[in-house]
Amino acid sequence: MSTATSMTTSASSRTYVEARDVATAVAAMSAGARPIAGGTDLVVGARHGKAPLPAALVGIHRIPGLADVAPTDGGGLRLGALVTHATLMADPTVLASYPGLADASAIVGSHATRANGTLGGNVMNSSPAMDTGAPLLCHGGVAVLVGPAGERRVALADLWTGPGRSTAAPDELLVAVELDAPPADGASGSSYVRLQYRRQMEIAIVGAGAVVTLGADGTVTGAKVAITALAPVIHRVAEAEAALVGTDGGFEAAKAAGAAAAAAARPISDVRGSADYRRAMAAVITRRAVLTAVRRARGESVPVPASDTTFGS
Amino acid sequence: MSVIDTPAQGSSTPERPRAFLRPDGKEKVTGLGRYTADLTFTGQLHAAFRYADHPHARIVSIDTSRAKALPGVFAVVTHEDVPDVRYGGMTQDRRLFAKEKVLWEGDVVAGVAARTVEIAREAAALVEVEYEVLSAQPDYVANMAPDAPVLHEGWAEYGADENLVRDGNVMSRYVIAKGDADAAMAGADVVVKSHYVSDASQGVPIEPRALVAQWTGDSVTVWSSTQVPFAARSGVAHTLQIPESKVRIVVPLLGGGFGSKCDFHFEAHVAILAKVTRRPVRLVFTRKEEFVAPDHRREGMDIELETGVTRDGRIVARRGRMVLDKGAYTGEGGFFAQMAAMHACGPYKLDTVRVEAFLNYSTNQPAASIRAPTAPQACWALEQHLDEVAAAIGMDPVELRRRTLVAEGDEGPAGQVFEKIGAKETLEAALELIGYDAYLRGELPDDEAVGVACGWWPCFGVPSGAYVKLNGDGTATIVTGAQENGSGSVMGLPILAAEILGMSPSDFSINYQDTDAGPWDMGSSGSQTTFNNGRAVVEAAQEVRAKLLAMGAEKLEADVADLELADGAVRVKGAPETSVTIADLAGTGEPILGKGSGEVPEAAASDASACVGSLGMESFLAPQLITHAARVKVDRDTGVVRVLDFAAAHDSGVIVNKVGADGQVYGGVMMGIGQALTEATWTDEEGRQKNPGLLDYKLQTASDGPRIQIRWIEIETPNAGPKGSKGVGEPPSVPTSGAVGNAIAKVIGRHVDKLPMTAERVWLAANSPAGEDQ
Ligand SMILES: Cc1cc2nc3c(=O)[nH]c(=O)nc-3n(C[C@H](O)[C@H](O)[C@H](O)COP(=O)(O)OP(=O)(O)OC[C@H]3O[C@@H](n4cnc5c(N)ncnc54)[C@H](O)[C@@H]3O)c2cc1C
Repeated sequence: MSTATSMTTSASSRTYVEARDVATAVAAMSAGARPIAGGTDLVVGARHGKAPLPAALVGIHRIPGLADVAPTDGGGLRLGALVTHATLMADPTVLASYPGLADASAIVGSHATRANGTLGGNVMNSSPAMDTGAPLLCHGGVAVLVGPAGERRVALADLWTGPGRSTAAPDELLVAVELDAPPADGASGSSYVRLQYRRQMEIAIVGAGAVVTLGADGTVTGAKVAITALAPVIHRVAEAEAALVGTDGGFEAAKAAGAAAAAAARPISDVRGSADYRRAMAAVITRRAVLTAVRRARGESVPVPASDTTFGS
Repeated sequence: MSVIDTPAQGSSTPERPRAFLRPDGKEKVTGLGRYTADLTFTGQLHAAFRYADHPHARIVSIDTSRAKALPGVFAVVTHEDVPDVRYGGMTQDRRLFAKEKVLWEGDVVAGVAARTVEIAREAAALVEVEYEVLSAQPDYVANMAPDAPVLHEGWAEYGADENLVRDGNVMSRYVIAKGDADAAMAGADVVVKSHYVSDASQGVPIEPRALVAQWTGDSVTVWSSTQVPFAARSGVAHTLQIPESKVRIVVPLLGGGFGSKCDFHFEAHVAILAKVTRRPVRLVFTRKEEFVAPDHRREGMDIELETGVTRDGRIVARRGRMVLDKGAYTGEGGFFAQMAAMHACGPYKLDTVRVEAFLNYSTNQPAASIRAPTAPQACWALEQHLDEVAAAIGMDPVELRRRTLVAEGDEGPAGQVFEKIGAKETLEAALELIGYDAYLRGELPDDEAVGVACGWWPCFGVPSGAYVKLNGDGTATIVTGAQENGSGSVMGLPILAAEILGMSPSDFSINYQDTDAGPWDMGSSGSQTTFNNGRAVVEAAQEVRAKLLAMGAEKLEADVADLELADGAVRVKGAPETSVTIADLAGTGEPILGKGSGEVPEAAASDASACVGSLGMESFLAPQLITHAARVKVDRDTGVVRVLDFAAAHDSGVIVNKVGADGQVYGGVMMGIGQALTEATWTDEEGRQKNPGLLDYKLQTASDGPRIQIRWIEIETPNAGPKGSKGVGEPPSVPTSGAVGNAIAKVIGRHVDKLPMTAERVWLAANSPAGEDQ
């Protein structure tokens, strides 16, 4: 015998404030409010029953300056937290020097998702399946957080700790993500590829990002590889990177990097795919990401998004 | 016979009116249309259900006191609050609210009406149900084993169609037989056996269902997003034990159905809540409920096929055993065993046949009609099986079909003799459109291939009715019982009436989707609206025409035989200036009305004497023939398949409304590709849905759509719908997955034996050693 009584909570009163500057937003967050940018994770997730909508919300979408894309003093790029995926996938600097990020933003959801969804929301949602994570990690992404005590900078690798979890305090607002300067000689390329069953409205089942730098003779002098949706957090794979450095960046080298990524993966089985399949795909998708980054480093044009371009390759 | 091509971009060719603007189009695309969930009533309450907490359990007790005590709750109802009657199509096996047992996760135990949706849901959760939990029985094949516990213990006492052959968990057993298939099989040159299994899938209308019920005195009106208002009306009348005259069903704009909104579903649940509370009560499903709660999904199916052929490609015997998942209740899907068996035969010349089909109960969501029920899965299995047969005798699969497809004078699986049909013509047309010759010449890359599949679907001749009445200004109104589901079939009815009355389609308004207005109609199901209601409208318009001609003859002092109806006037043939306008004739105040139903066409004779459990479907009335050809690209390393190009050739008889017909093919092919590749309801080991949402129930998106080229093989079909038309709505997703499957097999060298052919399944098939089961 069993007696079942499930509980749901009824809608209690909610508050919503709209911040026009960072200080107001942080103050509201200190008082318990959750920031909302595009709302494509927060609101849609609440509707799906993932988590109830927070009782207090602070709108941050009108804070001036948070949607800027600007060079950093060190020659890198500073992306405001409110920059949308639609902007990222078309920004000339991103396309020229950080194409892996454009690859990622270009396949987020649908046109509507990309128009509303922001980089900051993507990063702070801390999903292990989120698409900008792998390219941001490979490009040395650093989160710029502002809290009641002021600003602090955290490497993205130290930000995410698990699905939906991060080291950011609840009252810390992400204001920007900063990326490394591209190598001065320009012989570098990046990419992001994900396995997708359909061409829009997909979610990463397996994803991989890569940044590859080539020496004058075409030898790989630097490599960064990160994998998505294959562990509780998106992370870099040192063995895959090691497998590339010193090689010609050809098919066999990329395959070795893929094998290393598959070995590092800790996939789960669910409706989207079995763990065995995901592990096998980690090898394929990483290989494709690496080969795409190499081609771009060589100056070849590989159209964004690479997930489409590399289909069947 | 004539042939009309639809250019890929859908532009029009001059010889026919192509730019028919559907009257409900503008309001739909501009957002001005009103759907059921848009209705608001003074004092309305909101409903929520308490669903079963276990897929299979005995109910020990239900205590609603805590739920009723929640502030804002107006009523909580259970089986105790409604008459103790069972309902269901061919077997009456379900109650509105579960009483003794729950039989699937979506079974409704209690209903709540409250001030807000949130309160209603909270109260539903507060209903205390004590259960004796029983083992779930989701394995519909295992459920027919002699020692399997019987799910419906009282099945023998249920009211049921006397033609059904039932036994415990087998809700219906059917055998189609012709000649001695066993002996013929033994004499075949080559025998090929195949086993295919299809998962269940869903209709997925974009509009989750919505209902509002309101009582006036002892009559109830239910606004409902149903495809079948008259069936909904009978359901309310039967389960609440009131006359049909006290029940009115009105359907505001319907946001899609694809079959899932056929049948009586929740109208009575909401009506009883409205009655108890004396308030209008509204129910709007969440997306998750739309997946889990309706007793309506596409059935899972386990299909074994065996074909004996001669080396020159004559099919001497077909044997088959099919097991279909009925789920917990019959709903309107009681005929599925027979329909599936017909699709295991297909539109082919078969010397002998014996196909046995079982429709079994399980503790899964019930299966019922989704666009061409049973056909896509059975056709997917048969068409891949035929490609295997062709390979076994070293023949091109297209050539095997050329030799075995039926044509005029050939016999169907139970002896039906076909009249003129375009099966072979659809095959040749699809091959031409897809460029099959170029494929055979090896002009495609090695990760691409073309697959071809043929299929069929019957027309359903049923009674139907309509009125046509003229308005004083010379316009007219069609009052019909027919239901529009978005396909445009009702919207196209004025085309038929206008032609008869010399008017323009835009002169007509349509009063429909109201059971108090139009005559009884089967509803938007069975691709039958133009076929049957079109005939009714034609007859009604003919009556009006006769009246107008008679009035005109008197007015013009002319003989009726010398008159014609054109440009909104009755006029003398050859002397158009001698005329009187319809407006003048209609403006006198004398009612000018017509009514029609027309003679229902009947299927050709067949011989069911060797069949078991026949429901009379061995003969297909005015069969619609289809060939689909798909060019696909397979990503061998991931198993992801993209359909790059698609050709659809259909014999649906004469095409009455080409824009509408093309639309059905575009949508049907996309639905078929989804079923082929990505759409499945995945369940846990107890049959609970794991992907009841649009992120993980993967419909195809517009971006996934290939070019779709259409060709209509137009045959003026005798014994069919208006102008020699047949149905159009369901066939476009029948052979789609078979064509895609055959194309995949050509690339990876083996057939994927599970549907949908997901990336992982294709990858497994491509990477498992030959001969090894996946
Ligand atoms: C249909 C659909 C498809 C999608 N497809 C994809 C996909 O393909 N790939 C993918 O990666 N994602 C996808 N998403 C998820 C989502 O769109 C992205 O993660 C998006 O970038 C989130 O941005 P947002 O501005 O909408 O976030 P919001 O929903 O506004 O916020 C998300 C979370 O981050 C917090 N937050 C937001 N901004 C800040 C900030 N500046 N500082 C601190 N915390 C902050 C919020 O409190 C919340 O917890 C999809 C979503 C939908 C609805």
